[in-house]
Amino acid sequence: MEKKHKVLIANRGEIAVRIMQACRRLGLDFVAVYTAGDASSGHVRLARELGGERALYRISSYHDANELLSVADAAEATAVHPGYGFFAEDFRFARRVTERDRRLVFIGPSWRVIRELGDKINTKRLARSLGVPTVPGSDRPIYDELEAEKVARSLFDFQLQQGVTQPLVLVKASAGGGGMGIEEVYDIDVFRSVYRRIRNYAMRQFKDEGVLIEQRIRDFNHLEVQIVSDRTGKRPVHFGTRNCSIQSTGLQKRLEVAPGFDPSSIEYGFDAAALLESITSHSLAMARKVGYDNVGTWEWIVTREGHPFLMEVNTRIQVENGVSASIARVRGEQVDLIAEQLRVGLGQPLGYGQEDISFEGVGVEYRIIAEDPAAGFTPWVGDIERFEWESRPWLTLHTHVPPVSPEEPYSIPTEFDPNLALAILWGKDLAEVRERGLNFLDSLRLEGHDAKGSPLRSDVDFLRAGTARILRFS
Amino acid sequence: MDWDKQLHQLTERLNYVRDIFADKHQEDIGLLEKRLAELRQGIEAGTVTKPREGLSTLEDLFFFMECKLEDRLTPMDKVRIVRHPQRICLRDILENVYDNYTEIGGQDEHTNDPAMLIARAYITRRRGRKVFHQSVLVIGHEKGHGEEFRNGGSAKPWGNAKVQHYMQVAETEGIPVHAYVFTPGGDPVEDYPGAAQQIARNIYEMAGLEVPVVAIFSEGGSGGAEAIALADRRLMFSHGYYSVISPEGAAAIEGRLKRGERASAELVERCAANLHLTAEDNVRFGYIDRIIQEPVLGARPYHFEFFRTIRQEVIRATDEVVLGIRGFAPMRGTALRRLRDRELNLDEMYVRWNLSRKARRRLVEKRQKHFLRISRGACLNRRSLWGRLSDAWAEQWWELYNRLIYDFYHRKRRSFSNALEEVESEWDLLKRRITAPWRTLRRTFGKKREASAATEKELTTLSEWDRTEERGDWAWVTARAKEDRAITCPNTGVHGCMDLWAPDLYNEFAGVCATCGHHFPMEYQWLMYNCFDQNSLFEFNAEMESGNPLDFPGMDTRLADAREKTGLKSACITLEARVDGTQIVAAILTASFRGGSVGAAEGAKLVAAAERARRKRYPFIVYCHGTAGIRIQEGTHGLVQMPRCTVAVRRYIEAGGLYLVIYDTQSYGGPVASFLGCSSYQFAIRSSNIGFAGPGVIKNTTGRDIPPDYHNCFQALSRGHIQGVWDRRDVRANLRQALMTMGGRNLYYR
Repeated sequence: MEKKHKVLIANRGEIAVRIMQACRRLGLDFVAVYTAGDASSGHVRLARELGGERALYRISSYHDANELLSVADAAEATAVHPGYGFFAEDFRFARRVTERDRRLVFIGPSWRVIRELGDKINTKRLARSLGVPTVPGSDRPIYDELEAEKVARSLFDFQLQQGVTQPLVLVKASAGGGGMGIEEVYDIDVFRSVYRRIRNYAMRQFKDEGVLIEQRIRDFNHLEVQIVSDRTGKRPVHFGTRNCSIQSTGLQKRLEVAPGFDPSSIEYGFDAAALLESITSHSLAMARKVGYDNVGTWEWIVTREGHPFLMEVNTRIQVENGVSASIARVRGEQVDLIAEQLRVGLGQPLGYGQEDISFEGVGVEYRIIAEDPAAGFTPWVGDIERFEWESRPWLTLHTHVPPVSPEEPYSIPTEFDPNLALAILWGKDLAEVRERGLNFLDSLRLEGHDAKGSPLRSDVDFLRAGTARILRFS
Repeated sequence: MDWDKQLHQLTERLNYVRDIFADKHQEDIGLLEKRLAELRQGIEAGTVTKPREGLSTLEDLFFFMECKLEDRLTPMDKVRIVRHPQRICLRDILENVYDNYTEIGGQDEHTNDPAMLIARAYITRRRGRKVFHQSVLVIGHEKGHGEEFRNGGSAKPWGNAKVQHYMQVAETEGIPVHAYVFTPGGDPVEDYPGAAQQIARNIYEMAGLEVPVVAIFSEGGSGGAEAIALADRRLMFSHGYYSVISPEGAAAIEGRLKRGERASAELVERCAANLHLTAEDNVRFGYIDRIIQEPVLGARPYHFEFFRTIRQEVIRATDEVVLGIRGFAPMRGTALRRLRDRELNLDEMYVRWNLSRKARRRLVEKRQKHFLRISRGACLNRRSLWGRLSDAWAEQWWELYNRLIYDFYHRKRRSFSNALEEVESEWDLLKRRITAPWRTLRRTFGKKREASAATEKELTTLSEWDRTEERGDWAWVTARAKEDRAITCPNTGVHGCMDLWAPDLYNEFAGVCATCGHHFPMEYQWLMYNCFDQNSLFEFNAEMESGNPLDFPGMDTRLADAREKTGLKSACITLEARVDGTQIVAAILTASFRGGSVGAAEGAKLVAAAERARRKRYPFIVYCHGTAGIRIQEGTHGLVQMPRCTVAVRRYIEAGGLYLVIYDTQSYGGPVASFLGCSSYQFAIRSSNIGFAGPGVIKNTTGRDIPPDYHNCFQALSRGHIQGVWDRRDVRANLRQALMTMGGRNLYYR
């Protein structure tokens, strides 16, 4: 790097900690931010430790772009790392950062790419134009009732022909997102009423009557392909696949495994190795097509029959990047994907090709969260008084929770997501990593009390149960 | 004690003179004062031997002085005469001019608006021994002689609504309307209805009222006067004034006064002179037909001779209107010529005032033509002679062409295709009935439907989709979108809106706050280029230029500045454009040129645009990007654009077109209270304000404080003034929808 860069870390918690560590490793300066409610978080402590008071700014909200950018100007930062969440997939923020008078480097894909792939319909059409399999159904908003019914009818027929016993069709508002304005239809006779309801909802909520009609796929695994590319966007590489099928009832990931399938120890009803090969090559083809120029994830669903469908593209570093990094070796060396992202984001060439990347063993990531799985995974709020684990060579634990004791507890801030720690384990095969996982969960001590005095609840038992069904269709 | 009474009268006259001339002509008034005091002292002390003689000498002196002062009246003195509590009021006129009357719009203060008086009155005329009673409807503002509840003759909206109602009654009964204008201006209260809304309805109503209307001006203040003054004959008292704004209001604007400050007397005097508001001026401009000469220093209730003059003049005016349109055309001239004889006592002849149906239509046509013609010379038209000739030729050609194509060919074709459709649907029914058994058989025994390879292809491969429209960025983006700065939404305290980055706000968000939907004002070009089809704009009448017909001091440089700043020649742009392929005529009032104020040039362009739309059968869309009202520096030349444009618009609407108004930013004053407010399809872009008088003007004229969202478009919607509030980003789609669903039968695409 010819120029000494200074990175504004526009995020908090665990990812801020990891970006700081990556900056330190690459010899970059950084500026961290925090809000009043987050002052006791581990990332603040680490920033103070590594960069001192001058590398730390208090802001009123992580959501306020103006404030973040004035911090960047005041600290003379030259680049912004958005982490995940907040501004990570906001193409307007990326555009503003790179087009304002005092330009900064946005550590992430260029804003055009974010906009292109941030639109699900656009992604689906792009995939179809390259012959990448997508969920059967419409690939553009439908405004006409008769046309909508025709599509729904042929979807039912199509599923029956495919041997689906109880076909389901999904009607969703094309302008919607995050689960709003989505309904299932189990019978063509009720389709019209559902369609009209969704259309009216979309009209009210999003001012657009367009509706998407797709097949509802029920029995599937959620797979991801990790893509990394430098600013040229010419030669993207993949860092393998992940399986993120073990999720909470709210469809939030809790346990991730790399690689996506393990045909060496589990029997599948299809050729799993060929399937992984095909989704990675499809993902790379799309990345090449749009000129993808940073770290990103292609999300797939794979049915029990072995049909893959592209769902969407996440144009950011993901929470579970560490699990992919744990099994990948570049020329035999361990990698840190966040460091790679910073490096290519600041304009360095990747420096290696797909042939230099090899994979070894199986990695598992546990998300340790204070929540109550029995009550629909509601977040648990209170003070953590004890958080200990046995340190092992095969274990990496990322957390922003500072060292705690009953005298010096850490209260979980309520306005952010309740993730406490990510534990990444590695084993040479599935059996070993499973055993190590259970071992780790047994050794974990996570205790605390809420305001009423009742003990801390966490998803550790859920993770323990999940460990048994890793990489399987349940 | 006869002399006592006479002395009192003289004192009154002296006070009146003192009131009117404020602190001018001190030596003349001082002389009168001194002489009056001497005489009074002398009589009371008994030193004057012949009080009667002394009094008559003094009366002569008074008369002489009054005549002398009369010659020196300035426009502002006339304004003070008109405002004086001793000025005749409508009730005096009803008592003295008409033979009998009944107040029907209420009684004294027991009416919804005491400032507006309505009466059925009689005029009795004789021919020989035969007696004729002729009823008229008298409407007008009642100032009274200083009564508080009359509100100084400022009619509230509901007073104007009352007038509208009784004008319809007069129309039903076929009796003429005499409208007496005694108002300093309309009351700017926004209620149900709002001031502007109701005045617009009144003007629209009068533009097509099928009975003779005679208006008599004493105090013609702005929109309040226009609400009842669109008449076939407009008479004016010689000491009256007819103006776009009160001299004080003009002074406040000219002197750039802040709220609560008062203009100096000298500035007010100068403004009154510059506004050219006297009767002589308005007759010269052609906005008043005749002057009724008042007694020296203005009419007061005891000038009984003057009431006889009024009576003769209103009868003459009504007769003229009726004779000018009735009967056999070549004979009208002779009939009218007889009336010209000033010595003729009109009480002793009779002209029937009711009209046949055809004559009524001629009456309206004549009134409309008259108003379309007035004030034509008040703006500059830089178009060459050849250009004008070819325009006129093109107009005739379009008239003919559209007659042929739409009235003849299309109507025939439509009836033919309708018949064809009927036959086809009958044939379909028959076919279905015949083939019914065959279809039943096939349903029972035929193969079940199966998804084919084609369906699979359709569901899993890329479909055709033309996304050019959705994906396209805005065709026109303001220069403000280039600045790197954050902009704070005014609602941030209420909705907690984040500051917006200017390039996002002014480009992608179209000036709309992403959190609360507040619309920041945008240039008129935004809507012009983004809502009309690209490359479809064709501007016409671009050569018409705002002039300075009153030679208002300093106006020429200000107009030159505006021209230079905006590159426009007037505040109105008229163009032909397309909305999604549909041809329209559009007029844009731009706030950037002198605040979007309307003067003679703007009026002329609007009239021409309405005519063009009517001739071509295009929808007529007025985009009011913002208007501050009538351009006061043009005086009555500007004010008469209210009735004039309303007439043009009414003619267009009645020809079966679609007249649609879109308000943006701030729209106040005369235009809203006339040709904009009379549309049945008015829409506002969000966060715009619509009303009669702006908050500052309301504070200055009435002293009332108003709530902050008084003129907000949603309030206007609640009042029923506008028909909807549009998001700026949806204007294009909404326009398309409006063109499909609204408007009359005579649009070219119907």
